[in-house]
Amino acid sequence: MATLTIDGREVTVEPGTTVIEAVRRLGADVPHYCWHPGLSVAGNCRICLVEVEGMPTVQISCNLGVRDGMVVHTQSEKARQARQDVMELLLINHPLDCPICDQAGECKLQEYSFDFGTDGSRFDFPKVHKPKHVRFSEKVVFDAERCILCTRCVRFLDEVAGKDELDIINRGDRNEIAVARGDELTSDYQMNIVDVCPVGALTSTDFRFKSRVWFLKQTRSVCAGCSRGCNVTVGSRWNRVLRLVPAENQAVNKWWMCDDGRFTYRDVGADDRLGAPMVRKNGRLVEVSWDEALAAAAEGLGNAGKDLTAVVSARLTNEELHLAQTILDHVGAGERGYRARDFAKDDMLRTGDGNPNAAGAELMGLTPFTTDLPGAKHVFLCGDGVEQNEDLSSAAFVLVADCRESQTILEFATVVLPSVTAFEKRGSFTNVDGRIQRVEPSVRAPGSALEDWKLLGRLLAKLTGDAAPTSADSVLKSMGATRPAFEGLSLGRLGPLGKSTATATAAANGEAQ
Amino acid sequence: MPVSKRLMEHAPAIDAPPQSLADYKATGGYKGLEKALKMEPDAITQMVLEAGVRGRGGAGFPAGRKWSFVPKNTGKPIYLACNADESEPGCFKDRQLMERVPHLLIEGCVMACRAIGAQAAFIYVRGEYPQSIAALEAALIEARDKGLVGENVMGSGWACEVWVHQGAGAYICGEETGLLSSLEGGRGYPRIKPPFPAVEGLWSSPTIINNVETLANVPVIVRDGVEAFRSVGDDDTAGTRLVGISGHVENPGDVEINPATTTIRELIEVHAGGVWKGRKLKAVIPGGSSVPVLPADAIDVPFTYGAVKEAGSLAGAGGVIVMDETTCMVDALMNLMQFYHHESCGQCTPCREGTGWLEKLVTRIWSGEGSERDIELLDRVADTIGGAQQGKTICFLADSAVMPTKSFLKHFRDDFVKAVADGGSPVFKARRDRHAKTSTAAKTGTAAKTGAK
Repeated sequence: MATLTIDGREVTVEPGTTVIEAVRRLGADVPHYCWHPGLSVAGNCRICLVEVEGMPTVQISCNLGVRDGMVVHTQSEKARQARQDVMELLLINHPLDCPICDQAGECKLQEYSFDFGTDGSRFDFPKVHKPKHVRFSEKVVFDAERCILCTRCVRFLDEVAGKDELDIINRGDRNEIAVARGDELTSDYQMNIVDVCPVGALTSTDFRFKSRVWFLKQTRSVCAGCSRGCNVTVGSRWNRVLRLVPAENQAVNKWWMCDDGRFTYRDVGADDRLGAPMVRKNGRLVEVSWDEALAAAAEGLGNAGKDLTAVVSARLTNEELHLAQTILDHVGAGERGYRARDFAKDDMLRTGDGNPNAAGAELMGLTPFTTDLPGAKHVFLCGDGVEQNEDLSSAAFVLVADCRESQTILEFATVVLPSVTAFEKRGSFTNVDGRIQRVEPSVRAPGSALEDWKLLGRLLAKLTGDAAPTSADSVLKSMGATRPAFEGLSLGRLGPLGKSTATATAAANGEAQ
Repeated sequence: MPVSKRLMEHAPAIDAPPQSLADYKATGGYKGLEKALKMEPDAITQMVLEAGVRGRGGAGFPAGRKWSFVPKNTGKPIYLACNADESEPGCFKDRQLMERVPHLLIEGCVMACRAIGAQAAFIYVRGEYPQSIAALEAALIEARDKGLVGENVMGSGWACEVWVHQGAGAYICGEETGLLSSLEGGRGYPRIKPPFPAVEGLWSSPTIINNVETLANVPVIVRDGVEAFRSVGDDDTAGTRLVGISGHVENPGDVEINPATTTIRELIEVHAGGVWKGRKLKAVIPGGSSVPVLPADAIDVPFTYGAVKEAGSLAGAGGVIVMDETTCMVDALMNLMQFYHHESCGQCTPCREGTGWLEKLVTRIWSGEGSERDIELLDRVADTIGGAQQGKTICFLADSAVMPTKSFLKHFRDDFVKAVADGGSPVFKARRDRHAKTSTAAKTGTAAKTGAK
């Protein structure tokens, strides 16, 4: 171990640690553009300069290894002046058009300029002009004038995504990032380059100009696109989800997520969302009150008994799956399971399992459904918004809890209970590695649709006469009694990074975490 | 004033074909290699260390010490890269070695490989040197044919291959780590250190990079011994130096000298026939365009690393650029800034953005649109950019723009003040007036009449 002093504070770190990492270990930071903890060190932006006692020149802290006894100053006059010099040079050819730049509000140039830049420039020449709104793909647009050539995007695609598709062309202050292999970016992870870009050079065609980022409500949640459970920050405004960006979780997705996952929010605003409970009367689905719908549902389930065939979605949260299972146990349903869903797999994050909570479903004792539904007399589709086309023509009773209209609902449903998407509810998912992670609502569901846990809780109450659960958290806290993997857990205890089921089990057994 | 020929002692005339293998061997060629193959590799390094030969590419780092940095037993191959990019304006000495005595370099490469444990050497020759490449390629064919290079060097059972690689015309590829990036097929981007190339260079393997002239000294050191080698030069600069003299002199060209006994003035007045056209000397850039300029009264110093440094500049890569009394230093600096701006690789912020700013400022002064403030700013911006000497950039290219700027302003500020006061530099005004005359003549038709007469 090496002990060094940074701005008067001692810190002990492993050999091989860089100075910038040591600074961050102290909870402080050094300004940086090209350095990213998930990428190789490029050392080109030169803004992370610090002064080290005994070294004649300032040093880039991103490529400087710690040594025992090292004395580092990040705020000395020499270090500050050097950073200010670099800052001035970064801006001489950079367009100062923040009012029309989509990065404003989350731009490192703005932030560092505010922190330690000067209020004017000594540069009084026309700026170098370069191509603007260059199409890198249908998802990513590039503005060469705003680019500071930190090469984070080049390195991300090469080192992380395994697609060496970007490079630098030209030389000196004519340098530009360009697609170097083929005509357009093809990586399924290319939108991460928009996130790692510290300035407004790379923007997402899906999000750009939709909202100033400071107006976004930022909600930390989990992507429901596959069973990886990438941590995300959902940006929403006007009760609409506008973008998903990855949130760091070293145990799950590090700093990244796939492009398809970012587009999962589009289901939220789909125009076939269900907003009111319905019951089929005289062959037609008619909007009814929740009370009437739940009563009809409970009656139908009670009549079905062991003849009930239930398809419970592995897109439901752990709490909802638990409630669904409790209902099915109460009714004594015979056949039950979940539908497996495929999702293109890769070597990076995409697991190939399109259900975000298949592991949770398995923990609840559910297995993938193998039998076909035709022939079933009594059916409960406890779904979640993915298009279903089941042939239920022979069923006498079909209860559907879902958030989107489908052909199945229109043709066969007896009772329809409108539920919500993963962006509108609270609860937890268990990911492919058995990690239980928190899902948080970022927007409100349309009409009188209810979160699935609430809907299932009320249905259960109707069946048993007990009180309905008051929150997803209360369900999680109580389910540990019968489901050991969840013992001792609460949504609060999961924290922002989640907990592995193993850890949870160990904690429940009183072992050290 | 003695001419000290050692590397070029048996070199054929400048227009004659390159020295053949037979001629080279007849004058002691490959005797050094023969001797080296019988020595322990470390003993070769020790000899080079004791000889005290310093890097002739500009930095002047002791070659023997550099070799000693190669880690042993890493399980990786070790490489030698010969820097024959010679891209520094004002330098053309390596070209003389490659085109006239190519076997001297090849022998030096093989011996260096033997010393550092490499089995392959890459000679990175700048693309603008097709004759150098042809001479080296022809010499390599001869050397391979006679078993001096290849799978069984001189029957020793030891294999060593030498490859010639043609650069594609970028100044930055003469920077040693930019050279490695280019050699690997990538953009000629200099690399951050650590890791140092001796530990992680070509293809992440230990690599030693030496200049052509540095390697050409190795056969001489081993063949003649340390003492003989050190009989020329002094403790600071051991051995001879090849120096190219260009600019406003009567006889530009290369000369091999004893650096301890030859002053910059002698290089100009004796070896280059003096300042041309009977004019007076104004300024000298002694080590290639990147080093600080010296005024005419500061050149009575020997051409050793130490003495030139003490005089306020650097002996660098041995390219003496001479400027006569008619030279406008604003014009000269503008030319240099155009070069460094054009050649900045653009990797580090200060150099990428700053070299262009310097060029813009000096051009403004040159064209009569500058002010006193611009002169001051030119000086300040040079400080802002800094460069590797201040820790602000990866390589020394930024310093190469900063050092001339600072020194031009220090010694020749009057030229800049005059350009501001007189509405532009003399060169600018002459061009403008010539253009004005032509256009006036074209309008009035006087050109045609004059032509008829």
